[in-house]
Amino acid sequence: MKAILHIIEYDFRNFFRYKWWLVGLISMNLADLLIMAVIYNQMVSPEITELTKSYFNFFAPGVTVVGLFASAFMIGREINMQVRRQIHHYMLSLPITRLELAVGRLLAGGLRGMVYMSPLLLTTFLFLGFPSLPQFFVILGALFLLATGISGLSIAIAVSTTSFEKFVTARGLVYYVLFFCSSIFYPLSLIQTLGQEGVMPQPIVALAELNPLSSGADLIRSFLLGTPPFTLNMIRNLIVFSTVFATTATFAYMKIIERR
Amino acid sequence: MKKTKKLLLVVERDLRMFLQYKFIMIMRTIWFAAQVAFFGLIASRMVVPELADIYFEFYVAGVVIMMLYSASVFIGYDINEEAEHGVFEYLLSLPISRKELVLGRSIGGGIRSFILIGPIIAISLFVIGFANPLNLLIAFSALFLFAFGVSGMSITIAVMLKSGDRFDIFMGVLNALIVRLSTTMYPQAYVQNASEVYATFSKFNPLTFASDLFRWGTGIERYLTMDPMPLAAIIGIVIFFFAFTFVGVTIYEKRLEGGGWR
Repeated sequence: MKAILHIIEYDFRNFFRYKWWLVGLISMNLADLLIMAVIYNQMVSPEITELTKSYFNFFAPGVTVVGLFASAFMIGREINMQVRRQIHHYMLSLPITRLELAVGRLLAGGLRGMVYMSPLLLTTFLFLGFPSLPQFFVILGALFLLATGISGLSIAIAVSTTSFEKFVTARGLVYYVLFFCSSIFYPLSLIQTLGQEGVMPQPIVALAELNPLSSGADLIRSFLLGTPPFTLNMIRNLIVFSTVFATTATFAYMKIIERR
Repeated sequence: MKKTKKLLLVVERDLRMFLQYKFIMIMRTIWFAAQVAFFGLIASRMVVPELADIYFEFYVAGVVIMMLYSASVFIGYDINEEAEHGVFEYLLSLPISRKELVLGRSIGGGIRSFILIGPIIAISLFVIGFANPLNLLIAFSALFLFAFGVSGMSITIAVMLKSGDRFDIFMGVLNALIVRLSTTMYPQAYVQNASEVYATFSKFNPLTFASDLFRWGTGIERYLTMDPMPLAAIIGIVIFFFAFTFVGVTIYEKRLEGGGWR
């Protein structure tokens, strides 16, 4: 356990080295919330916002999840860089088992996402109201599962290629598909309606329904706005996503760092 | 060597360098596809009825301008990279004046951003169509100036900051604000309803001028901000171009030498 904590500490120190990058990221998230969402308030049809009162209210949990995703994904960039520069040879020389190393990095990626996301979540609470204590813990637990899954996903992509360009391209693809094919920017019911009308292909609708970012954003909305209603499917999606990518990343990372 | 030839050599070098960034081009294309196929399509079903019939086309035109802006900004990242690798000293040793160097880079930056988004503009025109080829030609001519102006702005900021990290952050923050406080994503009337302050920034934003021109060129004339069109938007873009190209040249000349890159 102590070894894992050391790895987490190491990754947190690295995280705060990117303080200017974090400033840029948070300014983008806040601009999305305080400019884009405020203007969309005027544009979005009342039918869409009748349950959430405004687009701003709808979007605030979404932007929290966007921030969590972007910051938890950062661990992949560092690991890809370390694999390319073979810094992992140094990591292997440490008196830490391979499993502890992999788990430490996975958890560090997730926890960094949680730390970055906290001010955004607090902002959401300030505008939308605070949840009850049990709801608060469910939100934190769900977001931690999401963050760990994202960290695992980014590590799995990072170790699958030694080319930085390929990593960046794969990351871009994952970012845009998961962001736009989710309920972050628009209600899931709207995507489903477009699917029923044949405008949106069914696989895209299914992806949006199963997308962990949809589950994370909708879970916060269900507690703070009462819509969409909370379902256990949200938690199930997050557990499956987190388990699959945490396991894949752990074993892929252990295998790759031992490769000559 | 004639001045024009020297200028062309600088432009050619920047165009050749840009071909190295094929992965960035792929990423931008994915971003465009996601913006149009997901956000544009779904958001057009989310907006109020009076906007719903036109919002998809309106948004696609805005995304083209966002792409043109972000591609034109890229020259500043090249400059930081060159400074970090000591290529700057080599460029300064060439028999080319500082003015020719910065002007050539600004033009090169503008042209290559057009090459990057050329296929995307073609797809957009296929999606949204255009009514009057002459209007489109006028709009494109002004958009070239816009791209040169953005490249000049990016070069100016890069040489003023003299730090890759600071530039990266500054451009990130600027990008977040300049895009959202423009009419690339929403008509000015709705920005005005949301906030007077936002509306003021949006009205005098070069991205608003460029979006208006592209929409006017493609025949999406409802919800234009500038009046009279296209004169007001062209004047705005010309002022922006001159400000950043020629002020940029002066700053570039002053700041270029003496090292100090971090």
